[in-house]
Amino acid sequence: MSILLPILLALACAPLAYVAGRWRTGAAAWVGASGALAALGVLAHGWTQGPARVVLPWAPTWGLSLEFTRDGLSGLYAAMALGVGALVVVYSRAYLPHHLAEEGRSPREEVRFHELLLAFMAAMVLLVTVDDLLLLFVALDLTTIVSYLLIGFDREDPESRAAALLSLVLTGATSVVFFAGAMTLGLQYGTFSLPLVIERAASNPASTGALVCLAVGALGKSAQVPFHFWLPRAMAAPTPVSSYLHSAAMVAAGVFLLQRLYPLFAPATEVRDGLLAIGFLSMGLGSLMALVADPFKRVLAYSTIAQYGYALVLVALGSEGAPLYVAIHAPCKAALFLTAGAVTQVTGKKKLSEVGGLRHSLPVLAGASAVAAAGLSALPLTAGFFKDEVFFHALAKEGPVVMAAGLVGAGLTLAYTLRLWWGLFGGPRRDVPAAPRLLVAPVVVLAGLILLGGLLPGLLVAPARAAAETMRGEPSTLELAYHLDARAENLLAVGAWVLGAALFATRRAWTPGLSRVLRRTALLGAERGYRLLLHLLDRLSTWLHEKEVRDLRDRVASVLVPTGLLGIAVLGVTPLRARFMVGTVGWADVTLVMALAFASAAALATLRAKGHLMLVLLISCVGFSLAMVFAFAAAPDVALTSVLVETTFTLLFAGLLALLPEARLRRAQKESQKPRGRDRLAAGVAGASAFLLSWSALSHLQAERVGQRTVELAEAAHSPNVVAAVLTDFRGLDTVGEMSVVVAALLGVTSLLGLKKGRR
Amino acid sequence: MRSFVPPLSRLLLWPSLMIALALWLKGGASVGGGFPAGALAGLAVLLQYVVAGRDQARRYVAVRYAAPLAGVGLLLVVGTAFLPVLGGYTPMSLFPRPDQPEVGVGGLHLHTALVFEGGLMLIVFGLVVTVIDRFALRTGTEEESGP
Repeated sequence: MSILLPILLALACAPLAYVAGRWRTGAAAWVGASGALAALGVLAHGWTQGPARVVLPWAPTWGLSLEFTRDGLSGLYAAMALGVGALVVVYSRAYLPHHLAEEGRSPREEVRFHELLLAFMAAMVLLVTVDDLLLLFVALDLTTIVSYLLIGFDREDPESRAAALLSLVLTGATSVVFFAGAMTLGLQYGTFSLPLVIERAASNPASTGALVCLAVGALGKSAQVPFHFWLPRAMAAPTPVSSYLHSAAMVAAGVFLLQRLYPLFAPATEVRDGLLAIGFLSMGLGSLMALVADPFKRVLAYSTIAQYGYALVLVALGSEGAPLYVAIHAPCKAALFLTAGAVTQVTGKKKLSEVGGLRHSLPVLAGASAVAAAGLSALPLTAGFFKDEVFFHALAKEGPVVMAAGLVGAGLTLAYTLRLWWGLFGGPRRDVPAAPRLLVAPVVVLAGLILLGGLLPGLLVAPARAAAETMRGEPSTLELAYHLDARAENLLAVGAWVLGAALFATRRAWTPGLSRVLRRTALLGAERGYRLLLHLLDRLSTWLHEKEVRDLRDRVASVLVPTGLLGIAVLGVTPLRARFMVGTVGWADVTLVMALAFASAAALATLRAKGHLMLVLLISCVGFSLAMVFAFAAAPDVALTSVLVETTFTLLFAGLLALLPEARLRRAQKESQKPRGRDRLAAGVAGASAFLLSWSALSHLQAERVGQRTVELAEAAHSPNVVAAVLTDFRGLDTVGEMSVVVAALLGVTSLLGLKKGRR
Repeated sequence: MRSFVPPLSRLLLWPSLMIALALWLKGGASVGGGFPAGALAGLAVLLQYVVAGRDQARRYVAVRYAAPLAGVGLLLVVGTAFLPVLGGYTPMSLFPRPDQPEVGVGGLHLHTALVFEGGLMLIVFGLVVTVIDRFALRTGTEEESGP
């Protein structure tokens, strides 16, 4: 049970913040952050007790259960989500009031922000601790939905709404692809439980199609090529959102999925080669864009694409350093994002070309962010050094081409990180007001952690090894230490620093050319393809809408005609047709036929009805005659319900007619008196099919079907009334669903009719 | 001459509700069930609306709180369906289980299906009454502000 405690604590954070926020706006952040830290503490305590699993049966007959795990991967990622989450919530306490004031919104909305951020944290913790393919998908979609709300937090701003929608569509669509992959695996192995799937995959490898589907879901989340373009757009979000979602949480989810599912990918070398290529591509593209981007949040966004490209390369190579890489990158990137937010708040500027020389006014922030930048670009004495060490270590086994690509990537990282830091803090002195302490403190804490990891690398070894063991399913021998010798890792690192420094020193020479080239390639990039696809889909939906909805008769026909054709097909050509054979009509059926004749007479009379009230009464006549049919067919329950529902609806219809404007009713009446040719055709098809199907159904009232068995089961279920037994027991879940629809309809009626009154 | 309809409709309210309750309680054994019970109770209230008007009909608490009653009904339905999960049963497990003996007082058999049906009844009742109430409200304002 202690596995569930951190999850439950994380889930409780958002409601607690809400309650605290009701009391006092400022308290929400503190309560939420303490909740996150408490969950972190419990997690760390549980960590000392070693790995464990808990399985809660949910629907055992369907083989579904809720499975949670405590292992190296879940511990590492949950700690990252909780720790960075707590710091970002504290930071938001200082950031949000200013931000809301600038947007002209109520300070109370700060509480909503904290709730969403904490809800996202909970979804993330859930995602990393579940051990079941279906729950994995559910948690993935939870993060997508909350991220939509967070990115679109400035809902007055059309740009941020568009960015939120873009990220929702992209990450949502790719997670549906992930779901398809998960379902394929579930069907292939007969279970959704991840350890079982992995165990069975050892003898029977997963299909390539399923793996590609899973990988697409992960790539979408981690903003890798060709799904990368949502991330720079998402920078329209408030900075705390970017610093959390786009460093330690949302984008980490994709790479996490690949690590969690790595045993499935391990035998599929061609899929891993594809991931390797995508990783290098994202690395290159992200780094180049980061070198020329001007808004500093965008620099960081492109850097995130590139850095998760590194992580993807590590996963594709099956390196044991992959989890460690993500875990070290997260605090570095979060700290830089938080720095960017602080600079924007103090100066009001968002672009590198508009700021600079802030090191004198913001010395603490400059120092802390310098540590974070050093960590990002893998300079020694920071934890970041080891993320590149494991990276180069993995590349060194793969040959010179891959090593060269890695060296260039690392060099570009140093170049854009230097450009970013120097652009913010270097250059001629500029004086600005000091930043609030609460804005700077989280950056200092993160910088402290980065330094600590760099000075005492032994602290990182245990969690990194545990995570690597979970990922690869074999003991890990990962070593982290400084070596002062000419090994390949060290040479590559030194080469990268030299390249990065050289690029930074000569930046004036190549920046204009590079940005021109990148602008041109953007014309045929993935984003353009996405827009084209969206445009075409939009046109298709408009066309369908025009065809279907412009006339109510067409709309009804579009439902009735396919149904009718299906019915006729069942009766005419399918192998089932023997079972649906229509019977003969004998003297015993006279009462039935009379009731049906009455119903059809009423139905025919509606064609000539003058006035809507008459129409309503005639239709209710049809209903009552059908109730009579049910009574004759020995279904008193259905007959009773049918009479009651028919009465209610006739009266409600009459009431509704009183609400509609007189002139419109008259016009509709006139129009409906002029039937068109295709209306007759549609009515003919639907009517013939319904007629044959009812005849067939009424011919088999006494037949030996599933009914007999149902009657026996109903006795056993303590419910002699078979209809009640079916409704409440055998098909109980259907009833629950239907009743939810009824309640939804009720809410709709309440709000619609209430709304119109308010508008008057 | 005074019409006999208003007194008669008032007279009909309580018997109709009693029959509705009977339909609900007897649903497991014979003709009836939560759905027709809710519809019948809704109709009984509808009669009050038609004959006595909205203000008179809203004297009854159940009419004023019809929409929240539907919410309670949904909670009952969902609770009956999913609370057994906590005990390790599949969703929609009803008690007593098929192999357990029946519990009953006289002609009434106690079964969790009864709670489920009660939820259905409340939802249907809530829907019918709320829709009527909204219609009545709208027609009322229409007449006042109409041409």
